Amino acid sequence: MFKPLLTRILNHLITQNSWARGELQPFSGQTVAIYLGPAKANLTVLENGGLAMAGESAIDDASISLSPSLALRILAKDAAASSQVQITGNTELAKSLAKVLQGMRWDYEEDLSKIIGDIPATQANAFAKKTYSEAKSKVINVTEMLTEYWQEENPLIAKKRHVEAFVKDVDQLRDDVERLEKRIEKLKHALI
Amino acid sequence: MSNQNQTHFGFKTVDESEKAKKVGEVFHSVARKYDLMNDVMSAGLHRTWKRFAVEVSGVKAGDKVLDVAGGSGDLSRLFNKKVGPTGQVILTDINASMLAVGRDRLIDDGASVPALQCDAEKLPFPDHYFDCVIVAFGLRNMTHKDKALAEMQRVLKVGGRLLVLEFSQVWKPLAPLYDAYSFKLLPFMGKLFAKDADSYQYLAESIRMHPDQETLRQMMLDAGLAKVDYYNLAAGVVALHKGWKA
Repeated sequence: MFKPLLTRILNHLITQNSWARGELQPFSGQTVAIYLGPAKANLTVLENGGLAMAGESAIDDASISLSPSLALRILAKDAAASSQVQITGNTELAKSLAKVLQGMRWDYEEDLSKIIGDIPATQANAFAKKTYSEAKSKVINVTEMLTEYWQEENPLIAKKRHVEAFVKDVDQLRDDVERLEKRIEKLKHALI
Repeated sequence: MSNQNQTHFGFKTVDESEKAKKVGEVFHSVARKYDLMNDVMSAGLHRTWKRFAVEVSGVKAGDKVLDVAGGSGDLSRLFNKKVGPTGQVILTDINASMLAVGRDRLIDDGASVPALQCDAEKLPFPDHYFDCVIVAFGLRNMTHKDKALAEMQRVLKVGGRLLVLEFSQVWKPLAPLYDAYSFKLLPFMGKLFAKDADSYQYLAESIRMHPDQETLRQMMLDAGLAKVDYYNLAAGVVALHKGWKA
């Protein structure tokens, strides 16, 4: 039901990110299954380097599997997260598609300008960016304030250095126990 | 079919030689109001389906596209924008009345698209010529679907795509509702808007006689296409088949 709409959106994004066509075109006609937790989406690469939802009888040439938490980390630009994505089948195809999906940006100012004109679109974009930036800094300020309160005034959250010291102590204790075990084993053998 | 020289015309069985003539009469009758009726019958969805077909085709600037049974020319118009001045779109239809409607609309639109009256079972084009061939809501009216598919496959380049947009088998739970719509409401709307209930009765019957999704997929593979995938649209009311030539 939503295939025409999703295909339209994907190709609109590809048109805005023209570099993506070059990445995908060598794999035209091939299909990738993307597993995001329990959800699955199959994408087919088109002959013009675009993307479409795959049909009912498509056979996957590659698959990309990731958990929702991993997807959030990737969205938050966590470089280490990308290496944890599971890829099977044609890895070149899956890597190119993953690169395109990660690198695509929606140029909403361009789309808005077609409806309300260039100048209002630029102003709306500047306003949205400023609002987002202010909201972000306010959220960060409140979070830092609450963190400080729960660490200093009414301790509920452990400080980073305390956690690190605790982890170091646990490691030390584990090593000490292992050494003790070895000594006991040695003594047992000596007595026998 | 018990007799090899007979075929379906809706739910009726007619001689093969008669089918093309009868289909021609239907489309001659509905030509002027064809798009209006399509809008009424599909609540405008046929435009979305056709745009989807154009998206999925993968056609790019400079490509050659053949629109078979293109009638009123709406797909040719969309493809013409995709291929740009370096590409080529050719509109064909066996029915002169439908083709005239499409040709006039394209001219009014300022589009330079040749309109050619020809039979899809005997396409007047060389082998390996087109990047994409499309037939939208036309295959079910053809007498020998297998021959038409083989011809469309023949004129495709290696790597070219054949797209078939056609009514298909609706999702089973919706079938009673769809039947009531097709056989009660559709001829009534045909009478009301196009003053031609019989033609729309034929359209409803011909949809039922058309192969389902998997059968058509197999027919396309038998016609020589290397790979065929299909999309169910509106719960299978319509299916878009895409086949690749290798």
